[in-house]
Formats: sequence, structure tokens, C-alpha cells
Amino acid sequence: MECVVQGIIETQYVEALEILLEGLCGVHKERLRIHELCLKTAPNLGVVASEVRLLCDLEQPEPAWTVRHIGGAMRGAGADQISVLVRTMVESKASKTVLRLFYALGYKLDHELLKVGFSFCFNRGAQITITVASINKMLKLHATDEAVPVTPGIQLVEVTAPASSENYSEVVAAMTSFCEYLAPLLHLSKPGVSTGVVPTVAAAAASLMSDGGHTTL
Amino acid sequence: MPIKRVFHWQPNAGTTVNSQLLTEVSQCAETFNGVREGRWKPNLTFYKPMQRDQTIPADLPRDFLGIALPEQPNKYFLVIRGRSIVTEADSTIQVIMEKLQSYKSRISFTFEGIQYQLGDFLLRVGKVVPTHSENLRGIVMEVEYLPISSIEKGKVIMDEFFDLWQEALSNRSLPGHFSHIDTNFSDFGLSDTYTPQHTAVQYACVMAQMIASVQSVQALRS
Repeated sequence: MECVVQGIIETQYVEALEILLEGLCGVHKERLRIHELCLKTAPNLGVVASEVRLLCDLEQPEPAWTVRHIGGAMRGAGADQISVLVRTMVESKASKTVLRLFYALGYKLDHELLKVGFSFCFNRGAQITITVASINKMLKLHATDEAVPVTPGIQLVEVTAPASSENYSEVVAAMTSFCEYLAPLLHLSKPGVSTGVVPTVAAAAASLMSDGGHTTL
Repeated sequence: MPIKRVFHWQPNAGTTVNSQLLTEVSQCAETFNGVREGRWKPNLTFYKPMQRDQTIPADLPRDFLGIALPEQPNKYFLVIRGRSIVTEADSTIQVIMEKLQSYKSRISFTFEGIQYQLGDFLLRVGKVVPTHSENLRGIVMEVEYLPISSIEKGKVIMDEFFDLWQEALSNRSLPGHFSHIDTNFSDFGLSDTYTPQHTAVQYACVMAQMIASVQSVQALRS
């Protein structure tokens, strides 16, 4: 399982967000360049249609592949009351033949994306990862060098943390409290719930840029 | 990792494998001054596609195999021999495959046997049994040569060891012999340096051979 929230920020304020995150997380950022391929079953294969994501980490000396399956979100009154999405998620690292394998098994490429940005991984009551990335599409199949932004000038911010059915409420609490620190720059909510940009962002970013993140927001 | 060569028992025409054969082979390993080192138990699962409408023909693999190697407990190997694909993944890939509900387990086999150390060689001999069953379906043998990880460089010593082994076995007049299929690993994108993926490919080839020989015996009988 994982807990997840997302938000958006204009590219001009990303540097300010980075300064804030460096101060908050106490770790160095990691560069992020991930080619994400979303595969779906061919018609007639499987009890139900299914979807799997293959992530190719292009930042590594040798491209490193991960298979990711995102399952259903937690539902019910309890889930509605929390501001974080809790969903099943399973990952497995895999060798470079994994794309050929899934094609041979009858999966077809639905779409592909290139995420370029940075991430911070740190522990603050939970193992939290925050990624800030521009989402790019390829004009030609697999042509990651010629990718263009899907939404120019806007970047996606995603906060995730692994959780289990026993500890998810503590993880949700840890994530919620972390997200509050970012509130002057961006609003984070469940994926699919669009909240747009926040009105305080320009002032907050200007303040961060002027003193390198030492201001208490 | 050290090179390995995998063999399967090829029974003479009209004969079948039985557990007595396995006892004889194990005794032979002991006469080679083999030191019993423990058990050997890899697991192999054949998966079949789950199609909503069976009547629609589809070009889906029928030889999709998942392999758990005891020396790599956190890994799982996926092989489609007919398409020359081998993929190494974390063992969580099994959970993903289950959640996708596009393929399901058709039948699982275990290679169940003993490991012997003979100097720089490790010899593993085991029976092939369907999981949760005692029905012997075949005999497999695996020879590992610890000092070398290049298949090419280890070829001669492997051949020599196997000749000695065949000679020792021939004294027992057993109704068959161990056979090895030379696999073209480069077809699978694998290099000369031995890896667990090479083992997975060899297991897939051995299973295919075993199934083919069972089918040919059945065809002769009917």
C-alpha cells in the first residue's frame, strides 16, 4: 500500500520549492528522469482488463526497470474523511527484457511519458518521497530525447509514502503534517482532485528566494 | 557466479523413470567421494493465459514459466522459451501477476534433491515432481564448477567431468543416460558470464525436453 497526494506548481516557483524542501528534508535532492510506459491488456486477455506501468530510470548508468501495479484506492467513510489517498501499490525491479516480456504476454502500449525533475526521500514519521517533475510526451515512439511538456510552465508535485493496513493512519498523519509546510507554495490533494495553484505562491517564493529558505513560512 | 550445466535423464526407449534410478545416481555421487551438503529445491510454475472468450484465437505464449531459485530467494525468473525471453525480477512480481489476473498458474513442479560437493564441483541431483504430489516425472542433475564464471572457459572442464560421471554411471547399467541441451544463451540476450538467468533458461529447456519426451512416449502408446 501507499499514501499519495499530488499538486501542481508553476515552473517559475520550482526553485523556491526546492530551497524550501532542502531546508525541510535535510537531505540532498536526487535528479529524476523516468520513462514511464503504461501497458494495457489486449482485448480478451485476462478476467478483466488490466494495466501495468513499466518505469525506466534513465538517471542510472544503466537504465533500471521497475514494474509497478497500482490497485484500487481505499474506500468508505473513513477514506473520504482523510485528505490523502491510500491505495494498493506493488513494485518489482526487473531486468531490461521486461518490456519485451509484457508485449509477448499480450500487453499493448497505451501511452508513455517522460518525467524530468528531482526528488527528496527522507524519514519524518514515515518514509516520505516528494517528486517535482515536468511531465513530457513523446512525439515519436520511445523518443525520450525529443519529448515535449504536456503542460508547459506547470510541474507536477507528488508526495508518496509506503504504508500497510496496520500503520496507514500514522503515515497519513505524517504526510498531512508535512504537506502543511508546503501550503504557502502549493496545495496537495488526492490524485484526480484538482485544486490549482495557491494565491500566496508568488509572495512565499519571493521570500524564500531572498533569504535562501531561512524564513519561517 | 560459477558456471552451471543442467542435465535431464533420458530414459531408454520403452523404459520410464523411477525412484530407484535416483537412488542409484545418488549412490554414484557418493562413490565419487561426494559430500552431502543439503537439500536442493527450485520451483517452476507454468502459467496459462486467462481468456474471456476461449474461441477467439490469440498469439499468446503457452510456455510461460516462472522460476524460483533457492540461491536467489528474493528473485523470480520469468521465461518464455519460444520467444527467447528471460527476465529477472524481484519476487514481488508474483504478486503483480496475481493482481493483473491475465495469467494463472497451470501446474507447478519442484526439483527435489540433494547437493553434493566434489572438490571444486557442486553436483545436485533431484527428482522432478508436481508440487503437492509424489509422482515422479523426471530426474534432473546440475553440475556447478566453482572457480569459473565464463561458460566458454569452463567448457572443457565441464565436458571432462561429465565424461567421468557417465563412465561411473555406465558401470551400473542403468536404462538411460543424462543428456544436456546446448542452449544458445545469446538468443536470450545473455553473455558468456554466467548469471542466475542462465540457470533459469536451462531449467526452461530441461522442462521442455522432459515434456516432449513424455508426450512422445504417450504418442507411441496410443
